[in-house]
Amino acid sequence: MAKTILNLKNLTIKFGGVTALNSVNLELKEGEILALIGPNGAGKTTVFNLITGVYKPTSGNVFLGDVAIDGKKRHHITKLGIARTFQNIRLFGDMTTLENVITGTDVRNKVGLIGSILGTPRSRREEKASIAKAHEILKFIGIDEYADRLAKNLPYGVQRRLEIARALGTEPKILLLDEPAAGFNPQEKVELAAIIKKIRDAGYTILLIEHDMSLIMGISDRVVVLDFGQKIADDLPSVVQNDPQVIAAYLGVPEDAS
Amino acid sequence: MINLRDKGAQFWERSNRPVRVLTVFAIVAVVAALPYAGNTFLQTPVAAFDAVLVYPMGMFILMALGLNVVVGKSGMLDLGYVAFFAVGAYTMAILGTRTGLNTWEIMPIGIAAAMFAGVLLAIPTLRLRGDYLAIVTLGFGEIVRVSALNSEAIGGALGIAGVPFPPGLGFEYQLLDQKYFYWTIVVMILLVIWVIRRLTVRRPGRAWESIRQDEDAAELMGVSTYKYKIWAFVFGAAIGGGAGVFYASRSMVIAPDNFTLNTSILILACVVFGGMGNIWGVIVGAAILGYLPDRFRFLSDARLLLFGLVLVVFMNLRPEGILPRKKREKAIVKKGSGA
Ligand SMILES: Nc1ncnc2c1ncn2[C@@H]1O[C@H](COP(=O)(O)OP(=O)(O)OP(=O)(O)O)[C@@H](O)[C@H]1O
Ligand SMILES: [Mg+2]
Repeated sequence: MAKTILNLKNLTIKFGGVTALNSVNLELKEGEILALIGPNGAGKTTVFNLITGVYKPTSGNVFLGDVAIDGKKRHHITKLGIARTFQNIRLFGDMTTLENVITGTDVRNKVGLIGSILGTPRSRREEKASIAKAHEILKFIGIDEYADRLAKNLPYGVQRRLEIARALGTEPKILLLDEPAAGFNPQEKVELAAIIKKIRDAGYTILLIEHDMSLIMGISDRVVVLDFGQKIADDLPSVVQNDPQVIAAYLGVPEDAS
Repeated sequence: MINLRDKGAQFWERSNRPVRVLTVFAIVAVVAALPYAGNTFLQTPVAAFDAVLVYPMGMFILMALGLNVVVGKSGMLDLGYVAFFAVGAYTMAILGTRTGLNTWEIMPIGIAAAMFAGVLLAIPTLRLRGDYLAIVTLGFGEIVRVSALNSEAIGGALGIAGVPFPPGLGFEYQLLDQKYFYWTIVVMILLVIWVIRRLTVRRPGRAWESIRQDEDAAELMGVSTYKYKIWAFVFGAAIGGGAGVFYASRSMVIAPDNFTLNTSILILACVVFGGMGNIWGVIVGAAILGYLPDRFRFLSDARLLLFGLVLVVFMNLRPEGILPRKKREKAIVKKGSGA
């Protein structure tokens, strides 16, 4: 069994009176693609927000390896190796595609303001390396031809993929993808699935929020189902697919009737 | 409307190195020759043209460049920028009249003092955003002015007189012929442009740009937004402080009245008018807004009113300023390296 690299323990978060997540436990194994599914408002994005430090849990912890990362600064968590995309695309629209990715790579750079002004050898070296790395990532994701286009002018599908490229720029161990296929047609979904697999095969661990069942069945190693902030299933895709509780959650059948 | 910004950028892109160098030399030569244009239609009726070139024009350009880093590049609305100018000016005035230090020796001290003021302001306030930040910075600007006003030790309302000129560097700075002051300011502006351009195409520039566009996303992509916001403030403060030192040393007299909210707003207007985030636009904007009121003084009291009217009309026609932020599709990273 692969080792657990991300471990959510009894995560609870309340917004006012609403309990968005209720004592959720979740383990992410190194090198897997774990799908996180559930009906709208189940708390999936909230899980990402807790992992990346956007929210602090009301109780419970997030462990990256052995280190509790809840309570750490958001940019620090990124530096520790977790990167994400956004359900609503949040690129830097006035930057080019390439610059978006380079901004991601900057988290690994060391040069500061003074070094940049003076143009120290390190600053030039890092700058060059970042550009090369960003191009490499864009090629890997298949959007290098758009490198010099402003992000806001990109076609929708390219923007979605750029979100992934920018996250990869930070050299994460764990990649969190929040509905990366939203708004895609079947053909685009197939392509995206291939990209996600390719990313995993390159050594990343992926936590994926997705609604499209066939996409999930095709690429995920394991599926976790959330419903009203509770984890109601955690198993192989084929098992989860036939779980009556999951089906009920998706079809909106009241608990007592299922 | 023709897009000057893109035309200029295109020209630059297509030109090879010798053409670029020549262009830069030509522009610098024209700019340097401006003090000799005093007898032309450019002449200002009351103040001498060479004096107007130094203040307000040169000073406004310098300050607008500094403020642009904060407002235009990083997206933080600072309404108290004049405070840093004041700190630089008072540092010069105090040390210049009470110690044997000369302008060039005081310059780094004044810049450091302004940077320190920048840190003081930034640390508690940068957690605020948008309107709140604007209000707090506005308050800061006023606090600095009112403190000076109420401190008899630094002259109170009368301010400080007898601030020495900078020592000459093989020439003498003169009151009646200000071309040396002007050339000095041009050098300062060129230096600031050079530094800003370096920052813009590198990591700090990207950090600022990402913060302006989506601060939360920037933070989640690993940008230490707090640190870079402080740097933006401190860097802007340094330029304001440097401008202040030079201003005091040229003006010989400074008083709290020189550092009112009006100046902060005017500098902000230069940035917005010229084109937020675009240094060339900001320079043109500051030059125009610095120059026009002196040129058309015959309008006397209605001057600022008309000025405001022109601004309003103009901003409706061209809301992004004279030379807007880049629209063109070209990387801010250096071309050719990498790909
Ligand atoms: N900042 C917040 N303040 C108040 N309530 C919130 C906040 N963030 C999330 N919630 C609530 O938490 C619940 C879960 O939201 P979340 O965005 O995690 O759902 P989701 O599973 O990602 O849904 P979707 O599939 O629509 O993206 C919702 O009821 C939402 O209203
Ligand atoms: Mg969601």
